[in-house]
Amino acid sequence: MAKITVDGTEYETQEGRTILQALDELGILMNGVDIPHYCWHPKLSIDGSCRLCQVEIEGVPKLQIACNTPIKDGMEIRTQTAPVKEAREGVMELLLVNHPLDCPICDQAGECKLQDYAFEYGVEHSRSREPRRAGKKNVDFGPTITFDQERCILCRRCVRFCREVPGTGEIGVFGRGDHSALETFPGLELDNPYSMNVADICPVGALTTKDFRFKIRVWFLEDVPGICTGCSKGCNVWLGTANNKVYRYVPRRNDAVNETWVCDDGRMSYRHIGSADRLDRAMVRGELGVLEVTSVDDAVAAASERLRALVDAKGPGVVGAVASGHGTNEDLEAFVRLLDGLGVENRGLATVQGESDELLVQAEKAANGEGARKLGFGDAAGVLDRLNTGGLEALVVMGHDLLDAQHLGGIEGLERLDTLIVLDSHHSALERVAHVVLPARHAAEKAGHFTNHEGIVQAVAPAVEPAGEAVPEAEAFDRLAAALGVAGEDAA
Amino acid sequence: MLTVPHTTNYLTEHFGDDAFTTLEGYRARGGYEAAKKAISEMSPADVIELVKDSGLQGRGGAGFSAGMKWSFMPTDGDQPSYLVCNADESEPGSYKDRILLERGGHQMLEGILIAAWATQADTTFIYVRGEYAFPADQLDRCVREAYDAGLLGENIFGKGFKHDVVVHRGAGAYICGEETGLLESLEGKKGQPRKKPPFPAQFGAFGMPTTVNNVETFSHVPHIVKNGADWFKGFGTEKSPGTMIFGVSGHVVRPGLYELPMGTPLDEIVFEHAQGVPEGRKVKGVIPGGMSMPILPAGMLDVPMANESLRERKTMLGTGGVMVMDERTCMVRAACVITYFFRDESCGQCTQCREGTGWLNKIVERIERGAGSEGDIELLLDVCGKMEAKTICAFADAAAWPVQGLLRHFREDFEEHVRQKKCPFPESFEL
Repeated sequence: MAKITVDGTEYETQEGRTILQALDELGILMNGVDIPHYCWHPKLSIDGSCRLCQVEIEGVPKLQIACNTPIKDGMEIRTQTAPVKEAREGVMELLLVNHPLDCPICDQAGECKLQDYAFEYGVEHSRSREPRRAGKKNVDFGPTITFDQERCILCRRCVRFCREVPGTGEIGVFGRGDHSALETFPGLELDNPYSMNVADICPVGALTTKDFRFKIRVWFLEDVPGICTGCSKGCNVWLGTANNKVYRYVPRRNDAVNETWVCDDGRMSYRHIGSADRLDRAMVRGELGVLEVTSVDDAVAAASERLRALVDAKGPGVVGAVASGHGTNEDLEAFVRLLDGLGVENRGLATVQGESDELLVQAEKAANGEGARKLGFGDAAGVLDRLNTGGLEALVVMGHDLLDAQHLGGIEGLERLDTLIVLDSHHSALERVAHVVLPARHAAEKAGHFTNHEGIVQAVAPAVEPAGEAVPEAEAFDRLAAALGVAGEDAA
Repeated sequence: MLTVPHTTNYLTEHFGDDAFTTLEGYRARGGYEAAKKAISEMSPADVIELVKDSGLQGRGGAGFSAGMKWSFMPTDGDQPSYLVCNADESEPGSYKDRILLERGGHQMLEGILIAAWATQADTTFIYVRGEYAFPADQLDRCVREAYDAGLLGENIFGKGFKHDVVVHRGAGAYICGEETGLLESLEGKKGQPRKKPPFPAQFGAFGMPTTVNNVETFSHVPHIVKNGADWFKGFGTEKSPGTMIFGVSGHVVRPGLYELPMGTPLDEIVFEHAQGVPEGRKVKGVIPGGMSMPILPAGMLDVPMANESLRERKTMLGTGGVMVMDERTCMVRAACVITYFFRDESCGQCTQCREGTGWLNKIVERIERGAGSEGDIELLLDVCGKMEAKTICAFADAAAWPVQGLLRHFREDFEEHVRQKKCPFPESFEL
């Protein structure tokens, strides 16, 4: 342990850290202790080049950069003295000597560290009368990122990110002095599964994502904490919302889960929330043999009638249940209560499997497969085998991941069912054979918990209004249980 | 007392002799005897003590005690350690290392061998400025000769000491002369100085403990081992012993390299050795130690060429490159040349250096064009202040100091440009 004093307040910290690392660990960096910085990033190697984080240390004649100065027991650090402020003003003025100052047309405006720090730590007037350095505009860096050379302050966070995190190293700073420029290496484009993170860590408007740029001014966005549901990692994200719409995901720091990153596929999965294929009305197969839109109440009643009749006639053994990893723990618990109430034992879990990597991306493409398994849902193979051998007459299905399950002998296997009840947030081929369809909410529209692949339980809260009449699955199951008369006292 | 003859040009004494460049010729003059003595008769610690005691200062610009630097190298541990010879001489106005490489390759190699013994280094990398093709060729030959004679490689002088030397050619960047920029470049990376800590003595070339010394620094070492610390201290001043090779250039009758004791007065170098300005013109100013050192005006040349005395006049010895400017010289144009160089050569990492060097250059060029205004001089000084002592390496300081020096002593040149809205020195050198 080492004791350090920052602006008169004493803190205890571990040895072997630099000043910024120690303050970051204590959770007070830019959150009580203001040491502005550009090139330093908690999850990247130390660069030491922006020179903005200079602080005064008792007994050291020159200012020192807080990012690279190791703490020592008894170290006294001052962050708000006149020399420190003067050094910050110097850096800010010099950074702005060649900056185009095009904030009105820059998409970063509003979340730009150059803007923020210029106001906070800079000087009001520019003394530069010289022509500003001209650079390339709208450079196509690859499938996801557009680069503006004039705005770049050469902090090289993006360069270090590409080298150190995905390990692809497609970009570098070429040239020297004030003609240095960020570029992709010859013959390469910035194209890796994590490429869009460079836009998040870029402190200025140099690197922006093609997906989000010019969609909306960021000051109209409300950032709501949430979880990416693209895979079982459960990366923490901010949902940028406005007009009851999610405009983007950006990673939210959680050192236990995703550090400060999110993969590009996960990031783009925000598009599923308000997509055109959302299932937003309940449907019941009518006398004409087609699904007809109806109210959730009627659909619950229809489902209840069908299940009641079947269970009463043939017992719960002919009923199967397939859970989804897209439901919250609360949804899945309600499902368990319903199935327990009915005495249904044929239960399983269907999740889509895909690519994985060693960084974040998990093979299981659902946020809560682990939560479902913890609640007793094993692989759906057993249920599907029973279905294939004709042992099932009814199936209650969450989501449509079932369609990808190995043992499902095509959708035809579902056609002979007497009753197929589907709860889903999106339209799918299941509707061709379903008898009752209930609209479910997306994770961004409900409260609950997800258990990630490592067993870490994370909460979500509604970020936007639900699509149409979509209900949380938990509510749908509880209403169904009540209609069936199998609701326990808790659920009621 | 020592019986060695006092000569003021022990480094360059035999440089007129072609044979001296060969191993045979060098050995005929007593070459490699000092290395043999060090390795056979002295412990590494003894050698370090001797060099410390001699007071030898690094001759690459910073003037740090060479023996002290060597003592920072860890002596325990099983990882390899390295020496690096900085032969990336790129400071404008400096060309002393070139002659030491071309004519005294073995003298330097012997110094390296002694330093290697003292620091128990495994390998020395000699980083030669890319433009120094001929010196590098000479060095290659010397290294080959030394290997063939068993002076490098395994079991040197039969003492079980092993040392290798690798000659590496740079690719032409001033910043690769900064020791950690050099190390990055040596490793095949972009030549950009490293932040410290860690320091090279802990984490140097390829992550191993490393000491970097200048060509001239190594070249002095055999003479110190041969003749002793007291002999060495017989030259120069108390704090700055030994000789130094001063490279005189600019408006002088006899530009060239002069090996003289440290502390030789600057005016003696300019007016006696280099014989003053041609055609009876007067000196206007002299840069004493390579372009990054602040200039001195004609009236301040009566100063011993040693750091302790030059510091009192707010300049430094640097690399000993003496640049003389005569009375026709426009100091704003000089500032244009100097700031252009640093703008072009800044590695571009640190904000103050990257943006400051460019800004300084743009301002002085504007003043030279006659478009300067009242506050520009204060602005120049302020920008210099923002650059000084705030960056990873000393490059930003090296870019700010000469501007500060020009403004300290030739402020009226700048003011006159602003007043007349044009350059008032029509006879000055052209940009």
